[in-house]
Amino acid sequence: MIEYAYLIPLIPVAASLIILFGAKEDPHSPLPWIGIGAMALCLALSISILWGFVGGGVALPYEKNWDWFSFATTIGGHSFVWPMQIGVLIDPPAAVMLFVVTLVSLMVQLYSISYMHDDARYKRYFGFVSFFTAAMLGLVVSSNLLVGFACWELMGLTSYLLIGFWFERPGPCEAQKKAFMTTKLGDSGLYLALVLLYVKTGTFQLSQIHTSFAHGLIMPAAATVAAFGILFGAMGKSAQAPLMIWLPDAMEGPTPGSALIHAATMVAAGILVVSKLYFVFLAAPMAMEAAAWIGLITAFMAAAMALVTVDIKRVLAFSTVSQLGFMMCALGCGGFTAGLFHLTTHAFFKALLFLGAGSVIHSVHTNDMRQMGGLSRRMLITFATMAVAVLAISGVPPFAGFYSKDMILVAAWNHEKAIFWPLLLTALMTAFYMTRLLVLTFLGDDRDHERFHHAHESPSLITVPLIVLAIFSTFAGFAINHNDLAARLFPKPTLAASAEPLKTEEANAAQPSNAAVSEKLADPESEKGDKELPSWLTWGIPGFFVPAAMLLAFFMYRGPKFELADGIKSTFSPIATLLDRRWYLDDAFLALVAFCDQVAALAYWIDVNVVDRVFVDGWGLLMRIIAEISSFFDNAFVDSTVDGVGGLATDLGVGLRSLVQDGQAQEYLMYAGIAFALAATLMLTL
Amino acid sequence: MTLADYMIVSALLFLIGVFGALTRRNIIGILMSIELMFNAANLNLAAFDRFLHPEGLVGQTVAIFTMTVAAAEIVVGLALLLAIYRNTDTVYVEDFHLLKG
Repeated sequence: MIEYAYLIPLIPVAASLIILFGAKEDPHSPLPWIGIGAMALCLALSISILWGFVGGGVALPYEKNWDWFSFATTIGGHSFVWPMQIGVLIDPPAAVMLFVVTLVSLMVQLYSISYMHDDARYKRYFGFVSFFTAAMLGLVVSSNLLVGFACWELMGLTSYLLIGFWFERPGPCEAQKKAFMTTKLGDSGLYLALVLLYVKTGTFQLSQIHTSFAHGLIMPAAATVAAFGILFGAMGKSAQAPLMIWLPDAMEGPTPGSALIHAATMVAAGILVVSKLYFVFLAAPMAMEAAAWIGLITAFMAAAMALVTVDIKRVLAFSTVSQLGFMMCALGCGGFTAGLFHLTTHAFFKALLFLGAGSVIHSVHTNDMRQMGGLSRRMLITFATMAVAVLAISGVPPFAGFYSKDMILVAAWNHEKAIFWPLLLTALMTAFYMTRLLVLTFLGDDRDHERFHHAHESPSLITVPLIVLAIFSTFAGFAINHNDLAARLFPKPTLAASAEPLKTEEANAAQPSNAAVSEKLADPESEKGDKELPSWLTWGIPGFFVPAAMLLAFFMYRGPKFELADGIKSTFSPIATLLDRRWYLDDAFLALVAFCDQVAALAYWIDVNVVDRVFVDGWGLLMRIIAEISSFFDNAFVDSTVDGVGGLATDLGVGLRSLVQDGQAQEYLMYAGIAFALAATLMLTL
Repeated sequence: MTLADYMIVSALLFLIGVFGALTRRNIIGILMSIELMFNAANLNLAAFDRFLHPEGLVGQTVAIFTMTVAAAEIVVGLALLLAIYRNTDTVYVEDFHLLKG
């Protein structure tokens, strides 16, 4: 089935085009089912690939390229015809991502049939979702980075369309612009990095670039610059600090669309691209370190903001940012497997959380958790599935998040203790605020009786996707962690080829030292891989710390009044304000923009008053003065010289004429005779 | 008689012709002086032929030709002279200065 892998992004594109342009808008249009069917087909293909790989029937990575176009170029005097190829490259992480993306997208679309049923632009929504998924799938499978980048940008476009889906309202309009501009800021870095990689390697083919890096053909400086560019792109797309400001606002779109953005497509793309180009980071340790710290800062800042947020979707948005920080941190710490593992499990439980939140919002018509409470008595299935997701994201065994988060913490522990402890704290904060969300929404008393009485369980089109995702949120972690499958699914890329010839050279040169060298080469890796957390942490985190955080949240937010929480909040009111204002990041960006505005105004003033007046006008004036002087000189000296020469010739001619040419033929003859006599004398004497 | 003697006679004859052509006021005199110069040249031709190529007659033949051409030329000159005289009632050359600049 893998030879049909190229169809996986193409099928949803076709579906989206049919949905968007195939018929008129109609609230009961059957067209969305085309998108769902297409996605089911893609899911089947993805499952066949993934299952084939796990079962050993399919060998990955699988790469197939077609010639796209070619162009002639000249390098150093030699002419080449440069082929550009388009194709699919499916390595094990890509296979997993295909499965995750198609599954989440399918669940989201099923859910949306019910959620969006009375929307005026019902059909268009499904077109966007299909296209969005197609763009992500294109990025996952593309073997050509340029095509991947195009997909990446298409995703930016579709996220813009989905966030601003209800564009009649000012909120979504602002949010879509914010998301688009912030991510574009990051994209510029990625684009420059890709151009740099192309210049250095001469190809956009991922595998060929990898080969270049593996043979050590890329200078460390270039690798570092490229890695930082990629990291910057990922910071925009995956909402890392400080470019994370767009993601909380992206909540303005339809909730299932948010689920898609947060779980499977948009924000996963940044992590995915970093993982696809992980070898660049391996060649640039500084960028790795930067990624780790950016991930840590993001994780912590977002988790802190989630502690005080009362909007249920915003809490989830902050938790997404925080979890993305975890992944980025894991990748930066060298925990490639851990990062992608968490990306996978996170996709399941974050989609579930958003869809569950959507179900709640659908039922009570508010985002504010203070007006919810006690909904578990009304919406049992939603509550149960949400609870599973909360347990998963909090890292309670045996739910999915436990395994991946544990792996991330181990990677951080092995890399740097200074990263591990804040990360652990962030993990506990995650457990706290997610429990807080669950308690505020579903447990305790019904704080708003009106809303409570109108609340009802959602229809099965909504609950079935929740249940499916809950099953995955429960078992995916265990399944992937089982039998070291994670290491097989997410094998850490290496720059091994560069070490190979070195070793053989060593072997040829000196046989005895070979063993020592290879041991030295292998040692740090194996040592790092083997090191585990101290046992009190291994057992203490899931066994004591996480439950403690969850219990704390439970008791703090259980009652009708939140004396303890309010007390803490008033005690640390500066910090609470800081978190409420989202670390003043928005204000900082606005101030930056305002500052740039001021600078631009100043520059404009300088341009008008200094550059134009002094340089342009002054230059003109100077030129005019010089020209005047030159003109005077020209008239006074040059022209009079010219006229003088002419006049002299005229005078001479007139004088000679009146002197010589008197019309007397005999005189002419005499002149001729004299001339002849002179010529003859000269000829005879010389 | 050597070639030099002939040359001297010829040169004197030519100079007399030049002097006449430059000094005579009457155009007829000038034409006559020109005839003298022609004859100086003819004398040269005959003398060179006689002394340098005694076996040939080319120089003498050319002299005869020159005389013929000179006769034709003097006819044209006299015709011009008549035309001038009829127009201006003078044969003095200094009275014609149409070419004066």
